[in-house]
Amino acid sequence: MATQESNDDRIALLQGTLDLLILKTLILGPCHGQGVARMIQRQSEDVFLVDHGSLYVALQRLEDKGWIRAKWGVSENNRKARFYSLTPKGREQLVEKTSEWRRLTRAMGLVLDSGDGTQGQEA
Amino acid sequence: MFRRKRSAEDFAEEIKAHLALEADELRREGLGKEDAQWKALREFGSLRAAQERFYMRRRWIGLDKLGRDLRFGLRSLRQSPGFAATAILTLALGVGANTAVFSVMNAVLLRSLPVADPNRLVYLRTSNPPRGTGTIDSNETFSYSVYDSLRKQTSGLSSLMAYVPLSGSKVAVRYGTQPEEAEGDMVSGALFSGLGVKLPLGRGFSEQDEMNRAPVAVISYNYWTRRFARNPDVLGQTLFVNGVPMTIVGIAAEGFEGVEGGGSTDFWIPLQSRPELNAWGNPPDEGKIYLNDSTWWCLRLIARLAPGVNRTQAIAQLQPVFQRAAYVGLDGSPMEGEKRPVLSFVDAKSFPGYDQMYGNPLRILMAMVGLVLLIAMANVVMLLMARNASRQREFSLRLALGAGRGELFRQLLMESAILVTAGGALAWAFAEMAARLLGRWAQIETSLAPDNTVLLFTLGVLVLAALLFGLAPLRTALAGGAELALKTSAATSNTDAAKSRSGRIIVALQMALCVVLLVGAGLLIRTLRNLENTPLGMRVEGLVVFGVKPNIPSVPAGVAFYRNLMSKLRVLPGVESVTIMESRLGSGWSNNSGMMVDGRIPDVANGSSNTVRWNVVGPDFFRTLGVPVLAGRDFVDSDTAKSQPVGIINEEFAKRFLPNVNPLGRTFGPDKGQATMTIVGVVKNHKYRSINEDPIPMAWYMYAQIPVIGEMQVEMRVHGEPLAILPAARKVVQQLDPNLPLIQPMTQRAQYDTTISGQTLFARLAGFFGILAVVLVATGLYGSLAYRVSVRTAEIGVRMAVGARREQVVWMILKDSLLLTVVGVLFGIPLALFVGRALTSSLYGVKPLDAVSYLVAVVGVAVVALAASALPAGRAASVDPMTALRTE
Repeated sequence: MATQESNDDRIALLQGTLDLLILKTLILGPCHGQGVARMIQRQSEDVFLVDHGSLYVALQRLEDKGWIRAKWGVSENNRKARFYSLTPKGREQLVEKTSEWRRLTRAMGLVLDSGDGTQGQEA
Repeated sequence: MFRRKRSAEDFAEEIKAHLALEADELRREGLGKEDAQWKALREFGSLRAAQERFYMRRRWIGLDKLGRDLRFGLRSLRQSPGFAATAILTLALGVGANTAVFSVMNAVLLRSLPVADPNRLVYLRTSNPPRGTGTIDSNETFSYSVYDSLRKQTSGLSSLMAYVPLSGSKVAVRYGTQPEEAEGDMVSGALFSGLGVKLPLGRGFSEQDEMNRAPVAVISYNYWTRRFARNPDVLGQTLFVNGVPMTIVGIAAEGFEGVEGGGSTDFWIPLQSRPELNAWGNPPDEGKIYLNDSTWWCLRLIARLAPGVNRTQAIAQLQPVFQRAAYVGLDGSPMEGEKRPVLSFVDAKSFPGYDQMYGNPLRILMAMVGLVLLIAMANVVMLLMARNASRQREFSLRLALGAGRGELFRQLLMESAILVTAGGALAWAFAEMAARLLGRWAQIETSLAPDNTVLLFTLGVLVLAALLFGLAPLRTALAGGAELALKTSAATSNTDAAKSRSGRIIVALQMALCVVLLVGAGLLIRTLRNLENTPLGMRVEGLVVFGVKPNIPSVPAGVAFYRNLMSKLRVLPGVESVTIMESRLGSGWSNNSGMMVDGRIPDVANGSSNTVRWNVVGPDFFRTLGVPVLAGRDFVDSDTAKSQPVGIINEEFAKRFLPNVNPLGRTFGPDKGQATMTIVGVVKNHKYRSINEDPIPMAWYMYAQIPVIGEMQVEMRVHGEPLAILPAARKVVQQLDPNLPLIQPMTQRAQYDTTISGQTLFARLAGFFGILAVVLVATGLYGSLAYRVSVRTAEIGVRMAVGARREQVVWMILKDSLLLTVVGVLFGIPLALFVGRALTSSLYGVKPLDAVSYLVAVVGVAVVALAASALPAGRAASVDPMTALRTE
């Protein structure tokens, strides 16, 4: 049971990041799932390898939350695809999550960059 | 909440599209067609897993999440067992006390008679009885002739039922060889059919049974269970009632315990015409019994309205018949200036008399436990708030990591649901036990088992609690928002002034409620003390009393029976003296009437009543009771039917009717003038009916000189344990007549105590709820202070580091709780005044504005507040600045 629970924690962490990345990608305009995956991969200079299965579940979740909406359409090379776009609510979320993330990474950075400071407080 | 539902096919379609797009892309990057497809598929990971996850989130998401929340909730509660136990116990006490009191109230005040269509049932009432009649209750009882006349009017009522007990207390019965006592009623043949009471075994009565005075009996389910162990073979067996054989023909439906208030009827027989089965167990009055004595209004009547007839119509039809029938056998018409009695109906939905007896105390108790519940809930809310405030960083971190607020809320709600479920289950068990105890103490014989109404009430309270406990702490939990996770110090993250304000308001409110409960409890307990310490005017210790109801054919035989009985009892070892009386002392019953003094109706100064309570007693009466004879003598064996008729009066009688003269040698007698007694003694005032009666003129007749002999109460003064004499006494009685049980044997003290049993119970419960409130307030205050000290450790450390002294720190904490106490008391006292006013009718010898009760309540709350703060204050004072600052 304990291992299962720790799994959940890991997913939660990924979930948060993946959601943010999806929102960020969609700010550029409507896009289908495959396009989102490609874009994330390309823009992160291939650091993030998006698991496509997880991506679609995440897209569905965001759609359920009302942060993005979807519509069937036709891709540039004439294939049928489901296009996702940001809702106003999604836009707000993006701003909020981005600043949250910025502060978190900044704080992390401050801590990690402060060198050997952890021992120097005694005096 | 639910948006347009997306189908699994649509999702599959999207994946297919994705694979095609991906393959296109890969081919553009130079892969072969098949390679591209294969790679697209591989990069997707497990196609089936994705579809499955999509499918699952649709189907199982609710249940799955619920399970996860449940596990999470249980785990997080397990991590703080102290908190969980306190919260569950507090809730169980609060809800349990409410459920218990409510189930008594439900059974006594709210529940309908267990009959068919109770809304169509009415009790008959009369504005007043005609002049010259005796009644059991001047508004509720009727003569047989009234019953008989009304019964013949069939248009307004579909049935009219009369019922009357065979005794004021219990009646002698015998099944097999051993005599015992039971509660029995004589009833109309239509009783069971008219009320719509079913008989699971055997049959009920018919009109024919009533006509023929059939010797048959129906027993209650309860009596069948208690006495006969639900043996179906009792049908056809013989039950001797006052020695008269009755055949048991039926068993009444479970839950039907008669229409008498306050007691539960064990058996019913049709209306009888034998002198030994007279109504109320009275001996025939000048040869007449209830059937032919139209001056004795002793039957209660209950009726079922005919279909389609409303009350007004039914009354209109019955009124003239009633007003004529009221004077049958009484010269036929009212006297000059006498108002004719007026018939009316009252609801027969619930048990008669209960409301009068228990209504007010029960409503007040309900209000008190309601306050206890408020305090208990406030405690749990504070506990939850403190706990969740200290979890704020955990929540913030989870929010930052992408958990939705909804998810957090669900988890908090789940935690509170777990607490409430556990607390509720415990409360129910607690309440079932408490209700049973309550019923026993209050001597309520109706079944008090919680029913569906009670269950609904409890569930309602619990749901409310669950929502409250989930919502209240959510605000605190979410107040921080995600960025709080970045604050790294526990000290700084918990010092928001706004948050502790709501906590302080709750504590002050609890203090106020506590003051109210303590004042109420104080008033009632002082009432009880007053009642218990009221001098009875006699030496009640060492007295034992029991009833005997012999079958006596004539007055001389009755006198002989009792003389014989007393002389046999007197010689038993350990017996000091023995006497008899008609009305048992301390039973709440008395004989009352106007009196002639010196041959005329006395003039009474300043409008006092000329009613006298009287009793018929045996020789040695006052010596046995230990009542001082102030002048003259006690009754003696030589006062007989042949000697001069004598009577004894009390001080109050002498003061009111024979002021400034020597009463000895004067005469008195009932105002009808049948007998005149010469006063041979004056005794000190003492209590007759109950402990809380005021002194009233009293007079005593000698049993051997009065032509009324029926059930008498035997009073014995014995050495040692009074009840130990009973087996020997029983043997003596049964040597005289094997049919005779000892009726309601008990010590005289216990008999007097029954007259204040209601007040005793009321005061004990109020005291219990007061203590419960104090304990809850103390734990609540202690908990919240301890918590606040713990989060302020760093702050206190800083203060001490910059020079604050320990006394200053202690004062800082104490000041806080003293302030809360003052605010609580200021709000509590006006509320308590209000409650005191509501209690007025339940007080004895205490004013609603009793200073002592208020003082005790205020001091009590203050002491509790200080005691609860002492430990946290001490802990604050012992903070070591260096350690405090280093803990982060």
